[in-house]
Amino acid sequence: MNVLEVKEIHKSFGSKKVLDGVSFSVPENCVFGFIGRNGAGKTTTMRAVLGLLETDGGEIDVCGQRVSYGNTPTNGCIGYLPDVPEFYGYMNAREYLALCGRITGMDRGDVKKRSSELLELVGLDKESHRIKGYSRGMKQRLGIAQALINRPKLLILDEPTSALDPVGRKEILDIISAAKEQTSVIFSTHILSDVERICSRVAFLEGGKTAFEGGIDEIRAMKGDTALELSLAMSSDTDKLKAAFPAAELREGKLIFPKASDSDCSELMAFLAAQNIPITRLERHESDLEDIFMEVIGK
Amino acid sequence: MKGFVAFFEKEVRELVRTKRLMILLAVFVIVGIMNPAVAKLTPKLFELMADELSEQGIVLGEVKVTALDSWTQFVKNMPMALIVMLIMFGGIYTSEYTKGTLIPLLTKGLSRGSVVLSKLAAMLLTWSAGLWLCYGITYFYSDWYWDNSAVNRLGFACFCWWLFGVLMICCIVFFSSFAGSGAQVLLGCGAVYFAMTMAGLYSRAKEYLPTRLCDSAPLYKGELVPSDYTAAAVITAAISAVLVLAALPLTHRRQV
Ligand SMILES: Nc1ncnc2c1ncn2[C@@H]1O[C@H](COP(=O)(O)OP(=O)(O)OP(=O)(O)O)[C@@H](O)[C@H]1O
Ligand SMILES: [Mg+2]
Repeated sequence: MNVLEVKEIHKSFGSKKVLDGVSFSVPENCVFGFIGRNGAGKTTTMRAVLGLLETDGGEIDVCGQRVSYGNTPTNGCIGYLPDVPEFYGYMNAREYLALCGRITGMDRGDVKKRSSELLELVGLDKESHRIKGYSRGMKQRLGIAQALINRPKLLILDEPTSALDPVGRKEILDIISAAKEQTSVIFSTHILSDVERICSRVAFLEGGKTAFEGGIDEIRAMKGDTALELSLAMSSDTDKLKAAFPAAELREGKLIFPKASDSDCSELMAFLAAQNIPITRLERHESDLEDIFMEVIGK
Repeated sequence: MKGFVAFFEKEVRELVRTKRLMILLAVFVIVGIMNPAVAKLTPKLFELMADELSEQGIVLGEVKVTALDSWTQFVKNMPMALIVMLIMFGGIYTSEYTKGTLIPLLTKGLSRGSVVLSKLAAMLLTWSAGLWLCYGITYFYSDWYWDNSAVNRLGFACFCWWLFGVLMICCIVFFSSFAGSGAQVLLGCGAVYFAMTMAGLYSRAKEYLPTRLCDSAPLYKGELVPSDYTAAAVITAAISAVLVLAALPLTHRRQV
């Protein structure tokens, strides 16, 4: 069963059409990457899923239940980290988590245990000061802890790593990966390497529509044309290779073999070995998410 | 219900930690002490000014102060305390909506109704504690210096004030369900008060208006009895209930 089902949602702000038929679905135990340019409507879509925003049309189902604006019981199975989380400055992290836990109906003992667990997980366990003095990164960490408190079935994270230092980013990505065991995660980001690292599905949002949605391996398959880059030790060998492999192109002193499959690769290596041609470098260049992103948004 | 309790606790903690509760209770205590003190000091003040006044040809007779003067001060000063409280609570909802602090909680399944009602409960609790504290202090000193038995219906008059305050608090709840800022909420409350005062110019309507509840002097003097206030009290309670009931669906529709 899909934890989240978004069907053809539309939303305009005044005359500005932001969402124009966005559809995607998030299966269970999946990390779902949500990608799009600034202002593409990622935050808007997430707010609609949470019932914080009234859509102009379309359907959203969370855990098989229809989402309605305003009064939103489906939120009970969602954990959400807003893009810029705001907390009560006069509380400390532990008190805040206790408040969150009790709202979701956990009993005091359970809340206490879970808070300690989560604070350690996000690295705030030694922090006894009030939230008022927190840095942005610390707020983001607390935001992730509060989103996880009630072991939600769906975790919605809006740019969870945007304010974090490199170590923190890795830690949080590990937390998200680990959370996959119990929940589905949907997160928006601009850092495509993060997506490649932990996501099993992605959706690109462009022009108010989902321009692409699919598994990360589908993307890899779609762009299976890995290119080979060969640098020769002696440029005099170039002609020999060009004669044997007509597809090869010479670019900036390197021989490029576009759309080379695995067998093409071994064939090339066998040829090099047989002819005893010395090389300095042979590289397989995989097209990454960035290339695909550029292609999808038509740049 | 769990959400209501948890959020109510958060409200109380907020009032305590942001020192708002302390400041408000201090205001009520000060007013409570001021009422008898001003009454007590008035004749002394006149004595001091007597020479100056007699030069101008005004001769004062002996000013006799009773408990009634102290309670007259109570009626005079209570609006000030109420206004201070309303100003403090004006942004209690809207600041949370604009800052976005409710979002993590609403997205955990906290119902908007719980938010509305637990903040209302916290305000009512503060108002009740403050008002009756003020009443208690004035009562004690007035009885100490003079004799409260000379004044009628003290408890009922204070209850009327309480009910009027409840109405103003419910106005905050109502206006907060669509207003954008605390200032707009206060403006709404002010408009309601102004409208009631204008309507009070028609002497026929006077008896039914909530503002009647603030008119304690005739009760103290025994010119009116509690049953003369019944209509105003019932109407005030009804308006308060309607305001809160209207605020609930409006808050559900509200963009947070
Ligand atoms: N309350 C609002 N009123 C008017 N316009 C809005 C509102 N909220 C969002 N928008 C518009 O909707 C568009 C999408 O905004 P959104 O915040 O969803 O983008 P995003 O994909 O999250 O961008 P980013 O990557 O910068 O976070 C923007 O052009 C923004 O101007
Ligand atoms: Mg955003």
